[in-house]
Amino acid sequence: MRVLVVEDEIRLAENVARSLRESAGYAVDVASDGQEGLFLAESNTYDVVLLDLMLPKLDGMELLGRIRQSGQRTPVLVLTARDDKESVIALLNAGADDYLTKPFDLGELLARTKALIRRGKGQASPVVTIGDLELNTVNRTVQRGGKAITLTAMEYRVLEYLVHRPRAVVSKTELLEHLYDYNWEKFSNVIEVYISGLRRKLNEGSSRQLIRTLRGQGYMLQD
Amino acid sequence: MDSESKNMQRDSIQRRLIASVLLSQSILTVGLMVIGVIVTYWRLLSTLDVAMQAHATSVAVLVRYTDDGSGHVYFDNSLLPESIDPNHPDQFMVWADRTGYLTRSEDWPEGLQFQPGPSQHWNFSWAGVPYHGVRMSHVPVLDRPDNASVKPQTLTIVYASPTVRIRQQVKAALAAITAASLLMLGATTWLASWKIRRGLLPLQILARQASLVSTQSWKLQPPKEAEDIEELRPLTESMTQMLARLEYSFKQQREFVGNAAHELKTPVAVLKSTLQSLLQRPRSSEEYRAGLQASLEDLERLEQLLQWMLRLARAEQWAQNGQQRELEIIDINSTCEEAVGRIRSLAQSRNTSIHLATNGPVLFRADPEDLQLVWTNLLENAVRYSPEGSSVEVAVARAGEKAQITFQDHGAGISPSDLPRIFDRFYRGDRSRTRATGGFGLGLAIVKALVEAYGGSIAAESTPGEGTRMTVELPIPGRKSSATG
Repeated sequence: MRVLVVEDEIRLAENVARSLRESAGYAVDVASDGQEGLFLAESNTYDVVLLDLMLPKLDGMELLGRIRQSGQRTPVLVLTARDDKESVIALLNAGADDYLTKPFDLGELLARTKALIRRGKGQASPVVTIGDLELNTVNRTVQRGGKAITLTAMEYRVLEYLVHRPRAVVSKTELLEHLYDYNWEKFSNVIEVYISGLRRKLNEGSSRQLIRTLRGQGYMLQD
Repeated sequence: MDSESKNMQRDSIQRRLIASVLLSQSILTVGLMVIGVIVTYWRLLSTLDVAMQAHATSVAVLVRYTDDGSGHVYFDNSLLPESIDPNHPDQFMVWADRTGYLTRSEDWPEGLQFQPGPSQHWNFSWAGVPYHGVRMSHVPVLDRPDNASVKPQTLTIVYASPTVRIRQQVKAALAAITAASLLMLGATTWLASWKIRRGLLPLQILARQASLVSTQSWKLQPPKEAEDIEELRPLTESMTQMLARLEYSFKQQREFVGNAAHELKTPVAVLKSTLQSLLQRPRSSEEYRAGLQASLEDLERLEQLLQWMLRLARAEQWAQNGQQRELEIIDINSTCEEAVGRIRSLAQSRNTSIHLATNGPVLFRADPEDLQLVWTNLLENAVRYSPEGSSVEVAVARAGEKAQITFQDHGAGISPSDLPRIFDRFYRGDRSRTRATGGFGLGLAIVKALVEAYGGSIAAESTPGEGTRMTVELPIPGRKSSATG
């Protein structure tokens, strides 16, 4: 999963980004003003955007409006210092999906971010099941047929993304875009390594192949 | 003490007014009664007097000359007049000037003596009975002496009549007047208290309206009844004005608290997130050290913000209530020089030159720290918003009763939409720049409050693309008056 954090308070942005990377294993891009945020949001596909409202150069509300105007369906979580009803109503009506008032709790921020990603992918439960595969996005654990499978951090991230896009063809580029921050091009060759590692671990004690490779198109998770 | 204060609390205008009306009415009633009694008494007495004189004349008629031609007189008591009051007999005594004592009434009180003399009236009491007496002298004897050569005698008659009836009549009159007065007193008191209660009604309505005033709704709607009353108008006016002032300062206070809370949220959010992310997983001691270092920096920023807010609050308090501090006379030029010195390194790092133009000392009574803070703030803004390699001009001049200090930069200027708001608390024209410089949007608000605390004013003119000019004017009182606010 890949998250965009638009926040002009650099220290806060760094802390949020670090927390998302460490605790959820997300790829995080940080923009410190509205213009940069808009540029990143338009040129990349994010699974969630965390947006501060009072931003230099381009106001958060305006940025939100532009994103929604362009038809992007990315969930947006607004980080705001104002918690009066009027501004909450205004930001939700402008297309925000959720909001958190500063000073917020990082744990709550993580939970809300996960929930928004889930919803954005059409999932309600934090535990996703595909056939006999079960993935818990809260504890970040994986089971197949009731048997726990230990994955590396990167393998888990690949599987988590695929699980949220079941029965859909996911290209290598899409995977790269959602698993790495804006430096993703450097990593273009490692996806195959993670996919083969995943296949080996998921197939232990089972004959049925979960991840299919479609030549020239990408990968598909099937039950 | 306690019951006394309780009574004091229960004192009411209404009761006081009614009491004063009652008091004045009572005085009036008593006065009327006294006057009524006196007038009645005198009228009755003068009537009695007339009757007594008539009776005395009737007595005089009974004096006759003797037949012996000696010219002496005698009293013929065969035709005595009736008493004025049939129940209380009149008394009389008669003297003739030559014959002497002639007669007196039958039951003339023993021992009561009157000497002949000029005519007069008097009151006396005999055996518990009050009398009014009259003495008439030189009353001619109506009878003619037989002997024409005899000189006619004149009489002195003392005639006294009991005033028992008069007293009874006066008492009856007093009772009637008292009864009527009390009746009238009761009626007028009731009327007065009703009118007073009605007259004070607008006060109650006003009080009821005033009790509706709260921090949610400051509007006092003075009732028409109260506005029409001359005595209440100053009250309603001062109440409305006071409420307007209260509302303004309350709103300002609330706005400041709101702004401050809002501004504090971000540094607190930073600090909180730093500490939380530090605790999210076990870290190496280097990471802890770096995290604590970062937290300390966050805290320092928070502390700085608090200091600025306190400084602003203090300056605004001075601006509103005046300063009660010992101030010294200083030269404005030297405080400007000091400020330029403080900003010099920043200016050098930005390759900006500062020119200070002075024209003789400008003396002013102030705390030099305050003025330096004002100049430093304005200079720092000017330098920060100037392009590299440009200059900032500072000029100190005296214009009549004012000291004028101007700061001119050649930066990007302030947009006309921002210009009216730059002195607002927590207002930042361009957030990216002020945030980068660690500004809280309080600098210019503090500058304005401090300048106003010294009775001065500050104005900003700006042409986008050409630069900004800040002008501070401080009042310099004439030589005779010494201190400022």
